Amino acid sequence: MWRGEAIDRRGFLKAAGITFTAALAPSSLMALERTDAVYASGFRAPDGSFGVATVSERGEIIDRVPLPARAHGLAYSAATGRTVAFARRPGTFAMVFDPSRQTEPVMITSPEGRHFYGHGHFSPDGTRLYASENDFDGNRGMIGVYDARDKFRRIGEFDAHGIGTHDMTVSDDGKLLVIANGGIETHPDFGRTKLNVDRMEPSLVLLDAKTGVLIQRHRLPASLKQLSTRHLDMAENGRIWFACQWEGARNALPPLAGWFSRGEDLSFVSLPEETTVRLGNYIGAIAVNRHDGVVGLTSPIGGAAVTLDAKTGAVAKEETVREAAGVASAAHGIAVSSYDGQFNDTRSAVAWDQHIVRLG
Amino acid sequence: MRKILLAGLVSLLPVAALAQESDAAPTVDLPMADVTKVMTAAVDGFIRPGYDAFHESADKMTTAMKALCEAPSKAKYDAAKSAFRDAAVSWAHIEVVRVGPVIEQNRFERILFYPDRKSTGLKQVQSLLSKVDETATDPATLGTKSVAMQGFGALEYVLAGTGSEELLKAKNSYRCRYGAAIAGNIANVAKELSDIWDAPEGIQKAWEQPGPDNLNFRTGGEAITALLGILVHGAEAVRDQRIETFYKGSDKAKFPKQALFWRSENTWPTIKGNLEGLSTLLEKSGMVELLKEKDRPIVAATQAKLKSMIELSAKITPDLEKAVENAAERKKLDTLLADGKDVIAKLNDGYGGAIGLSSGFSFADGD
Repeated sequence: MWRGEAIDRRGFLKAAGITFTAALAPSSLMALERTDAVYASGFRAPDGSFGVATVSERGEIIDRVPLPARAHGLAYSAATGRTVAFARRPGTFAMVFDPSRQTEPVMITSPEGRHFYGHGHFSPDGTRLYASENDFDGNRGMIGVYDARDKFRRIGEFDAHGIGTHDMTVSDDGKLLVIANGGIETHPDFGRTKLNVDRMEPSLVLLDAKTGVLIQRHRLPASLKQLSTRHLDMAENGRIWFACQWEGARNALPPLAGWFSRGEDLSFVSLPEETTVRLGNYIGAIAVNRHDGVVGLTSPIGGAAVTLDAKTGAVAKEETVREAAGVASAAHGIAVSSYDGQFNDTRSAVAWDQHIVRLG
Repeated sequence: MRKILLAGLVSLLPVAALAQESDAAPTVDLPMADVTKVMTAAVDGFIRPGYDAFHESADKMTTAMKALCEAPSKAKYDAAKSAFRDAAVSWAHIEVVRVGPVIEQNRFERILFYPDRKSTGLKQVQSLLSKVDETATDPATLGTKSVAMQGFGALEYVLAGTGSEELLKAKNSYRCRYGAAIAGNIANVAKELSDIWDAPEGIQKAWEQPGPDNLNFRTGGEAITALLGILVHGAEAVRDQRIETFYKGSDKAKFPKQALFWRSENTWPTIKGNLEGLSTLLEKSGMVELLKEKDRPIVAATQAKLKSMIELSAKITPDLEKAVENAAERKKLDTLLADGKDVIAKLNDGYGGAIGLSSGFSFADGD
């Protein structure tokens, strides 16, 4: 999830170089030349193959990188330009690629007894990659640590202090790992089956990024034990926004998003009932646009994209987006994609996956 | 009543407080009357009869085990093994329903603990049999022990594992009484499931009548998507969990003793039962009626492929060592894997796409 100032196309073009742009199809080059921002997102092509694409602000596909299977979340390092597409759980690969194609892709395979949970994040200097992983026989979430300077060699792991670890991010100063433990037990022997919906343990955790020491852990109250805390993004001043998916009674109106900071309790946003209903008790992705001070939420279940004021949590905008998938900070506001191929202004013959990362 | 949940606070608001939903964009939008008809047919024509039949077969298995214990004989032993097979196949039919009460309170695992790559269940059962623990001979107390010791896997070992000849040697042996307790425990869980689904105001009503106050499905689209999910996940389980556990292809490592029920040679009868369960649910629910005329052939094509798989599964040798070593048998396994993939695609992309899931069921199941 991107968090810097609005990225400009010139930065990407400069990094990409003449070799990259010369290899692009004329339509892709045109899209790149007129875009204000560049994103990456996983997709499924009409022939059933999977890949990750770089995409213009308007939603036009600039370039594609094939993947062996379906991806989920992505991470981008502004320091190195490296981008990672993580396999969807219970996948075992993470593809590191250079959107400007200046370096060869690197395929990371999860170690024995672990699989990826679909999300990860770089340290601010780009030297470390952190990935959410499942120690499935131990039934505990882990954060795998990879050395980006050494072919992404796995150099360690931290206990995520929860189960069903999903999204994670890193504080701006690189000192904190922020982890969303969804609380749902899964095991690759049972595919994507949720094994403990009647006894979930969601939590939000802060770890010391250097040592893995637990700094802060928020468990949810009993009335919200079936609220899976799954996705995160950082706002200004260290505020951490989180988004949830409700596994309890379908006629409930649970809080679906909130924030916290180091040393603070959780605060839930009081969404209007109609907004909670519209989101189908399920937020699939979240992104903060720091420049505009807004937070974007999407729900494929409800077919909705909702924008909140990042200071107050008030609803600023609601849109109907059928099969809404990813969100990212846009040059202005929030970029939104969908399973049926819509990405901002453009519909492409692909199914966009659940997450978008902004490159820049 | 809809519940508004806040941290540490649960409050109730009347239905009238709900905001308008006209702006919602449900992915699957189907006429409610049609949805109710299909969901009712699925519940009353497949799920409830399935659990009822399983309960009945588990009771018969318990009776057969008790008869064996009280008067051991070759005939009683064969009858017990036959009752085991009948109950396991009955379970296989309804096992495809991996949602709802069966996945709560460890009911599924109490009936069947599988896969078990580390042989946890085997070790625990062997340990239990190596001593005498009378609490394992009462279904009530057995039901509080490790799930790996109280289901079909454990009973199969009692009946067909090392030392099973003891069942014929003495009246009311510890091994036999443990086996009878396992059967009784399975019957108890089966009764629970049957009772839960038969309660008129419970889950059966929730499944049949989606709506804003419904505990399970707010819209008809959610209900039908969940029903499709049973078929997709059920087909995936047959292929990925029941076949690929021991055979992934001729050039891959083979693990015939990882197969479910290899000892009792019930691997194929239960896989056949799974496939028949999927086919029956697809037929009895009338899901085809929800599709436009042009899309309906996808259901017939799925049924044809399932029928082919059901017939083929009955023709593979029950000796799994031979099944993975013999070229002709392997060819059948390869066909089952390929056909299974095809069935999954037909349900996932074909049926899923036809009801409005543009990228198929699995793609849209979020994360």
